[in-house]
Amino acid sequence: MKFVLLWSDALFFLLIAAMIAGGVWASRQPHLRASWRKVGQSRVAIGSAAVLAVFFAIAFVDSLHYRPQLPATPQGEVRYSTEVLSALDALLLPLRTQTEKTYSAPLATHLFAKETLDDAGRDFPPLRYPGTHLFGTDKVGQDVLYLTLKSIRTALLIGTLTTLIMLPAAIGLGLLAGYVGGWVDDVIQYLYTTLNSIPGVLLIAASVLMMQVVIDTHPEWFATSAERADARLLALCAILGITSWTGLCRLLRGETLKLRELEYVQAARALGVSSALILWRHILPNVMHIVMIAMVMDFSGLVLAEAVLSYVGIGVDPNTISFGTMINTARMELAREPMVWWSLAAAFIFMFVLVLAANLFADALRDAFDPRASR
Amino acid sequence: MSLLSVRDLSVSIGALRPVDGVSFELERGETLALLGESGCGKSMTALALMRLLPAGGRIAQGTIHFADEDLCRLTEAQMRHVRGGKLGMIFQEPATSLNPVMTVGEQIAEALRFHTGDTRRVVELLAAVGIPDPERRAREYPFQMSGGMKQRAMIAMALAGAPELLIADEPTTALDVTIQAQVLDLLDGLRRERGMAMLLITHDLGVVARMADHIGLMYAGHLVEMAPRAAFFAAPGHPYARRLFEALPEMAQEKRRLATIPGSVPPLGTTFTGCRFADRCSEVLPVCHRELPPWREHGPAHQVRCHLEVRVEQIVRKVGAGETASVGVPAPPPALLTVRELKVHFPIRRGILQRAVGYVRAVDGVDLTLPAGRTLALVGESGCGKTTVGKAILGLQAPTAGEIHWQAEKLQGLAPERMQMVFQDPFGSLNPRMRICEIVAEGRPSVDVARILEQVGLSASMADRYPHEFSGGQRQRIAIARVLAVAPQVLICDEPTSALDVSVQAQILNLLAELQQTLGLSYLFITHNIGVVNHLAHEVAVMYLGRIVERGTVAEVLRAPRHPYTQALLAAVPRIDGRRMDVKVAGDPPSPSNPPAGCHFHPRCPRAEARCREAYPPVVSVSATQSACCFFAK
Amino acid sequence: MLAYLIRRLLYALPILIGVNVITFALFFIVNTPDDMARMQLGVKRVTPEAIEKWKTERGYDKPLFWNTQASGAGQVTDTIFFGKSVKMFALDFGRADDGRDIAREITLRMGPSLAVAVPVFVLGLFAAISFALLLVYFRATYLDFAGVVLCVAMMSVSGLFYIIGGQWLVSKIWHLVPISGYAEGLSAAKFIILPVIISVLAGIGSAARWYRTIFLEEYTRDYVRTARAKGLSERFVLFRHVLRNALIPILTGAVVVIPTLFMGSLLIEAFFGIPGLGSYTIDAINAQDFAVVRAMVFIGSALYIVGLLLTDISYTLVDPRIRLS
Ligand code: SF4
Ligand code: SF4
Repeated sequence: MKFVLLWSDALFFLLIAAMIAGGVWASRQPHLRASWRKVGQSRVAIGSAAVLAVFFAIAFVDSLHYRPQLPATPQGEVRYSTEVLSALDALLLPLRTQTEKTYSAPLATHLFAKETLDDAGRDFPPLRYPGTHLFGTDKVGQDVLYLTLKSIRTALLIGTLTTLIMLPAAIGLGLLAGYVGGWVDDVIQYLYTTLNSIPGVLLIAASVLMMQVVIDTHPEWFATSAERADARLLALCAILGITSWTGLCRLLRGETLKLRELEYVQAARALGVSSALILWRHILPNVMHIVMIAMVMDFSGLVLAEAVLSYVGIGVDPNTISFGTMINTARMELAREPMVWWSLAAAFIFMFVLVLAANLFADALRDAFDPRASR
Repeated sequence: MSLLSVRDLSVSIGALRPVDGVSFELERGETLALLGESGCGKSMTALALMRLLPAGGRIAQGTIHFADEDLCRLTEAQMRHVRGGKLGMIFQEPATSLNPVMTVGEQIAEALRFHTGDTRRVVELLAAVGIPDPERRAREYPFQMSGGMKQRAMIAMALAGAPELLIADEPTTALDVTIQAQVLDLLDGLRRERGMAMLLITHDLGVVARMADHIGLMYAGHLVEMAPRAAFFAAPGHPYARRLFEALPEMAQEKRRLATIPGSVPPLGTTFTGCRFADRCSEVLPVCHRELPPWREHGPAHQVRCHLEVRVEQIVRKVGAGETASVGVPAPPPALLTVRELKVHFPIRRGILQRAVGYVRAVDGVDLTLPAGRTLALVGESGCGKTTVGKAILGLQAPTAGEIHWQAEKLQGLAPERMQMVFQDPFGSLNPRMRICEIVAEGRPSVDVARILEQVGLSASMADRYPHEFSGGQRQRIAIARVLAVAPQVLICDEPTSALDVSVQAQILNLLAELQQTLGLSYLFITHNIGVVNHLAHEVAVMYLGRIVERGTVAEVLRAPRHPYTQALLAAVPRIDGRRMDVKVAGDPPSPSNPPAGCHFHPRCPRAEARCREAYPPVVSVSATQSACCFFAK
Repeated sequence: MLAYLIRRLLYALPILIGVNVITFALFFIVNTPDDMARMQLGVKRVTPEAIEKWKTERGYDKPLFWNTQASGAGQVTDTIFFGKSVKMFALDFGRADDGRDIAREITLRMGPSLAVAVPVFVLGLFAAISFALLLVYFRATYLDFAGVVLCVAMMSVSGLFYIIGGQWLVSKIWHLVPISGYAEGLSAAKFIILPVIISVLAGIGSAARWYRTIFLEEYTRDYVRTARAKGLSERFVLFRHVLRNALIPILTGAVVVIPTLFMGSLLIEAFFGIPGLGSYTIDAINAQDFAVVRAMVFIGSALYIVGLLLTDISYTLVDPRIRLS
């Protein structure tokens, strides 16, 4: 067994570490304590946080990648499979390997379509593993539940890494524009107005097309197909990030403009404190709650966007398991007679629960931290 | 029977009780003032009378009889006819209390339509509240009117239903003194004309003295004293009332320590046993902590809620009580800071290319001299440019023209070791994310925080706490500690006490006086509060529309003002002896982007003549120290 | 005010140029035309001749910015930058891979896009505002709470499921309307009705919830208290005072998307087979027709910038504070 650290894994671990560190920091801030208490008192917030935690745990396990060792060659040489697996695959070994021949309904004992059997003419052939497929199996006999669980990592990566990638730009430029003003402000405003005027989907489509060209014309960059899919996933996050930092940037610029006029900032200037230190000590900590709210609020939108983009063909690599690719294949199955509905149902349920939990949690956070939103 | 009779009224918001068992009566045609500091429950009482409590608030117990009806028993639909009908109300912030996208006329017509069905009286009402050119004004939007005008429009709206009782919640707090005087006159006139009763909610003893027939003093949700005006001002019965009087800077003899009330108003949600003032009372008895004091007769129609028995004869209201802390006033030492021809102009940009088509002349040629160890007060109304002067001197605002000299050296930009600033808002001036020790050491990290904190009257143990744990007065002390850490010689104080309650204001003024004595600090004290000037300053400069119109020693300017504006300003300040002076100014201050030709004050000046409209008057020296910019100053 | 609008117009110009430059960089700097040719022709089995042919067909064989071979003005005009980017300002988008003129195609396809997008915009706005008003009227009751929960649930469902579910239910189970397709003239109605309803439903959750917060924020203002103190009824306060103030940000916020309605919706048009600009874009993306995608990016941005201008204009019309100052 050989561990593989994909780029997205590294970033995802970094993100989780950052989230934990940020959580510890935020819970230590006495002025935030009241807001946290408010979050803690909300049953909805606790419930949705628990659901999110489960999803994150699955994605975390799914990010521990390795390449299994192949049986040694006669020469005794150690070889590794080109297939990259994750700890989740190992945990779900039965689900992954217990494949059927083709479609089977949830918890069915027989295949979905009649086949000509050797002995008794046309009938529903029995399953190899009857009653074990909670959400049935797909066209090639893969367990749908397994596919759905694997989709979670993709959704979470897109939902979180995108924000992580855009955060430095949004914060840096937003604070700079708001605090320094003058021509710096003009340039930054021009930059985000211009980027903002390109309709998001089209900019993403164009960028993804171009990225595809880059990836396809440089096959030598990637050792395994997993690495290529991973690069494409990260590139998609970056593209989504580039098209979405403008909103947060504008928000932070506005807030900084307000903070700049506050008396404690004026007092610091009068004391001769340098601008860099003022930004670091006075402005940044006082906009962090906005950043946090924006991150959580964006998350659900990004998860939904991934499905649509992948469906349209400008999302993740078609070989990456994701909600979008699942829906894409499942849609055709809906047109079959009789209908194959369980892949779609599984994707729907998992996505709905994830996005709903994220939305509810975001609401609770905003209510607790944004004084204006409190009703 | 009384017009309004409130019995045992309590208001609850969640677990809080901002009003707790308040009873009072109000006769037709009379004015009752509910007086108290912030958070005492006076505004909540007013909103309860209107049944307009904020979300979550409700009347927990008690009855409100108004014009033979129990308001608590009315249905919401019936109550709506009372609201804005027999019971009118005006609010503190005229700027936000009017709907910004409806014309003023429409908003008044709305009230008329509902209560009388006759919308033609809009212009008549606007004229009745003294708005010039009412036909045109009725078609204007609120943002086109000045603050004073908006408050008049609010009053017109409240008058639409011909109220028998007008509730005025801090009606003039957001206004400048000269405008305040106009609005108070208007309210008093209307009350007499229409035979209305008025319930005035205020924190200002001067306003009370000017307006009220009866006074109810509130503290922490309780009424603690009820009295006719004369009796209250002659012999206040409750220790809290007496301390309030003594804490007023205008009551103190100049340059003495003010009497203070220790601590600050208890926060909402405090649970009390016994007297709510006990922790701050200097006359506290053992019983006070245990038992709620009963109401006791203090004089005719004068009741006090206190265990302490004092007879009226025993109370000689000590004017300027407190121990003397004499501050010598020798001949002015040489100037430390000199400001010459200071100008700060802000461009007004218009047109396609955003060229500057004009300038807001916020500061337009100001000369100042600040000697070492002295206090110069810069007085003026909002928008006169006094704060901009302070920021420009400090270096926070780049001046358009003019020079600032430190002794013989010309200053450019910030000089943090020499000058510092104390700001107005004790809540905005401390970063909520920093601990007290970090805040105090911000300017000089090596400073001995404990020593500085003790210097401003705080304990060193507070260093590790965060600002939100402190009251307004304590925060202002922390802000002072922060600037003391860099040991400046000049402090520019921008309205440092105007956001504080009277009892806390006195503590801060005392602290500033003490620091001046021990450290030899010089203050440039920017304020609109004449009482504070009288108490603290040595010299005064009066600003109007970006320029200084009169300057001199405190005695000269406050006792014998020569400029008509100074005279009007002083006359407009409501005095707690209830005396009125007759110099009045009409109208609003003009905009600094388009000052009137000639003397800036001429459109409002009672003495203006032809030449005032043509040329700006020269500086006329009245004495060695006093001068004024008026043709008639001599 | 006129000066203000002219200034906004002048400000829009550099933005449009910026968009043009970004698109150019994206399509010609990130990848060379050779890369694109290789990709389109299939990575294997590409001869240099095939690449040259592909480039010449599309006019990608010229230099990027400066043509040393040409003379006079041709040095600037006979380049990729001029031919592919600058000409877009004159609405000359060149030809698609199938040889058709893109500009003509766009004019043809605008109609169907608008036929769906306009009803969606109008009905959606109306439905969301009405729903939000309903919630606000019953604010702090269980009805309000249930409404908000419904909104959050509705916005947690991916748009894909609305479409798939709607098509399945209405067309396949109930056989009410055709599952997809389009017709000219009035008979388009039966094709349009389902996509419109689905789009409105998909958007109402987040919009209504957002409008509700705007209304509630307006409710906390001091002038609302003044209106109540006048004795006005709650309904009057809501419809005359709160609604009027809240509609300013809501309507001016909606104005910005009006010009982009021309672009249609990618998903809806693709699913329902409506021959509008949305499906045109999708097809171009799938066929990797760079010229069409480039043209759509440019048009979309230009329309959005027009939308920003319209927002400014509508603000000056609606808000007296801006109109009169
Ligand atoms: S009851 Fe006691 S504590 Fe309260 S005011 Fe009177 S003397 Fe002071
Ligand atoms: S110069 Fe004239 S207008 Fe100005 S203050 Fe003196 S008398 Fe009044």
